[in-house]
Amino acid sequence: MEKVIDVQSLRKDFKSHSSRSGLKGAFRDLFTRNYKVISAVKDISFTVNEGEMVGYIGENGAGKSTSIKMLTGILTPTSGTVRVNGMDPHKEREKFVSSIGVVFGQRSQLWWDIAVQESFRLLKKVYNVPDDVYNDHMNHVIESLDIGPLLDKPVRKLSLGQRMRCELAAALLHNPKLLFLDEPTIGLDVLVKLKIRNFLKEINEKYKTTILLTTHDLTDIEALCERVVMLDEGQIIYDGKLAKLRSNWGEGKQIEFQFGEQVNLENLQPLLTELQAEWTKGDRDNVWIANVVNEEHVISEVIGRVVAANRITDIKIHEISTEEIIRNIYEEGMLNG
Amino acid sequence: MKHATIFFLYVSQYMKTRLTYRVDMLMEIMSDLLFQAVNLIFILVVFGHTDMLSGWSKDEIIFIYGFFLVPFAIFGAFFNIWDFNERYIVKGEMDRILTRPVHSLFQIILERMELESLFGVITGIAVMVYAGNRLDLNVSWYDPIVFLFMVLGGAFVYAGIFILLASISFWSDSRTSIMPMMYNIGNYGRYPVDIYNKVIRFVLTWILPFAFVGVYPSAYFLGREEWYGYAFLTPVMGVAFFGFAIFMWNIGVTKYRGAGN
Amino acid sequence: MGKYIEMIRVRFLMMLAYRTNYYSGILIYSINIGAYYFLWNAIYGGKGEIEGLSVIQMTTYIAVAWMARAFYFNNIDREIAQEIKEGKVAVEFIRPYHYLMMKTMQGLGEGIFRLSFFSIPGMIIVSLIFPIEFSAALSTWMFFTIAIILSFIVNTQINLLTGVMTFFFFNNDGLIRAKRVVIDLFSGLLLPISFYPGWAQQVMDFLPFQAISYIPSMIFTEGFTGFAVWEAILFQLVWAVILILPIQALWVIAKKRLIVQGG
Repeated sequence: MEKVIDVQSLRKDFKSHSSRSGLKGAFRDLFTRNYKVISAVKDISFTVNEGEMVGYIGENGAGKSTSIKMLTGILTPTSGTVRVNGMDPHKEREKFVSSIGVVFGQRSQLWWDIAVQESFRLLKKVYNVPDDVYNDHMNHVIESLDIGPLLDKPVRKLSLGQRMRCELAAALLHNPKLLFLDEPTIGLDVLVKLKIRNFLKEINEKYKTTILLTTHDLTDIEALCERVVMLDEGQIIYDGKLAKLRSNWGEGKQIEFQFGEQVNLENLQPLLTELQAEWTKGDRDNVWIANVVNEEHVISEVIGRVVAANRITDIKIHEISTEEIIRNIYEEGMLNG
Repeated sequence: MKHATIFFLYVSQYMKTRLTYRVDMLMEIMSDLLFQAVNLIFILVVFGHTDMLSGWSKDEIIFIYGFFLVPFAIFGAFFNIWDFNERYIVKGEMDRILTRPVHSLFQIILERMELESLFGVITGIAVMVYAGNRLDLNVSWYDPIVFLFMVLGGAFVYAGIFILLASISFWSDSRTSIMPMMYNIGNYGRYPVDIYNKVIRFVLTWILPFAFVGVYPSAYFLGREEWYGYAFLTPVMGVAFFGFAIFMWNIGVTKYRGAGN
Repeated sequence: MGKYIEMIRVRFLMMLAYRTNYYSGILIYSINIGAYYFLWNAIYGGKGEIEGLSVIQMTTYIAVAWMARAFYFNNIDREIAQEIKEGKVAVEFIRPYHYLMMKTMQGLGEGIFRLSFFSIPGMIIVSLIFPIEFSAALSTWMFFTIAIILSFIVNTQINLLTGVMTFFFFNNDGLIRAKRVVIDLFSGLLLPISFYPGWAQQVMDFLPFQAISYIPSMIFTEGFTGFAVWEAILFQLVWAVILILPIQALWVIAKKRLIVQGG
């Protein structure tokens, strides 16, 4: 398969000065300064194939946005190589950016004072999109995102959700092969989020658009991405399937039983013999929780035994959420995924 | 060709938004006129106390001022990017600019243009005609063409200086108030440079060549032959300075650090 | 009071952090003063004095006017306009301080910074290059100190006024620019007020602008002496008090509007 993004030992150092504290320190800074080099991105390598949807995650300051900016040609790398769509983003910037689409959730691509369709018209010229291609493609985009009625309104009059959908349409105007999305759903309500996710899935299937998604909202990633790349302190700490991350670090499941009658630990304990599981008491009456390892046969065995022996009014199976998993990973530090 | 179409699209959008806020536009034109009047008043008041400024008469100084207004108006309409640092670097708008397939400076010029400044062309020509009449200047058939070259040269010099200053922002993260102060220095190019000492004359000719936006090109129209050499250098300086500024800009873009780091 | 002093300190430190600003500032101020020195020399062209000022007094006047400008000048009108447009002012209403006072203090922090880092070193540099006369009389320095403090107050008040006007215009840039031009011309920064024709001087006597630059510069160059000094300072003082009224009035109206419209 074709590599859309190919990053080899990419690095970005920032030289920054550290201010001395206090007034006296500030005076001294006028004449001599302490410089130190901060590496925002430390020799990362990864590749993305055509048609993939990759979640790019990390805490603030992990190097996410710096690396995205290098991939989009905004920043020049200190060292290493980047090939995106077969080009060097910074060297051939103008040619390169025609082949990508970018949405920065917190930064508008559209002109504030003019109607959305006027912005589209300008961008159409900027990206040199021929009329027939534009009409064919954009009619579809406008319809799927349901922004037809918004086109003649100025951007400043749109709500955040409406604006975001228009931003997305603007980023797709030239039908790029690769789409960078930076926090595209920040601050949006659930319905708009769903609409945007469905739309992204659709264009991914229809045009094989590769999507690199950065977000704090892990539900976006769960809904869209099979693969995640996780950064911490400028390095990739995990690159692989989201499902694998879940099964490796989603350490187990909790099965919560609501019994129809009074039960106690002595009755329940024998049910778990020879299984990797144990009971804890729930917070309500007659509720007991079986903590089990995340293996299919264990889970079904536990449920089978309990149901056969007791009257059950309710069963819930809790999974450790991706968010918890990721928090755990960051708290426990580096891992070798 | 692509650039020209984009340019006209931007211009038409600009007109549309501007016409929605007509009061603003009027205010802006008024404040431009006021700005132009202030300098004229300065000249008039000063010549209330003296007849000659080291051999140059009042009408000659007024003529130079009139000429200056024309390239300055063109500069003001398209290259007045004094708030580049704050708008594009500090607020990170440069990120957005760099994700579009058009030269970054061209985009910024389009976004920041202020076409109402072009009214200054009219004021400037009016002032020149007034002063020129009083001075009995002869106009040859080729003078308008020379004028065009001089004006473009001057506008490019001015633009070059401001683009160079804007480029500094790529290297230094500091907020600078250099730009507003530059306008004052720009004013000194409107007086005969021989009144200054060598250092300032050198600065105004070669470092911050504002003299090419005022006194040098005007010397041609005023028939001051001793300055013809400098006068005809105006378009050359314009092209050279503008070219250098773009060269520095392009290097600067590779040094861009992004916002919020 | 403590919080306002803190604001001055923070702004001062902020200014110190930008050192390109610092070096270029000194350079540009020096070029400005230098150019004006030669321009005025050419204007005098051998005349002993114009309107009671000798060439040396005139040079001193220009140098002081520019250096004092470093102290009283600030961009708080632009900042206020910006904050109003971005809707940040609404938040400022719920903070435990007076917004306009806070802005004034920020301006003062900037002013003190420029005074100590541009004006004083700049003045020393300029006085080495150009013939400038410093007064030996302690009283002149004292009056000058009072005068530039008052000029800071008057200039800041005018800035507050133009800044707050943003509430009432959609886009205030034109007004802010116009104000700046008017101040450069009528404050006496470019030309001493005494150089203007008589009728213009009379008009300007009824406007606050000469309190900003003309008065402190004239006091410093000893163009004003004796009773004229007291009169000049009284002029500044009266305007400093009068200007409180429109500012407060506009502020109250703006506040009401903001509450009604919800920002």
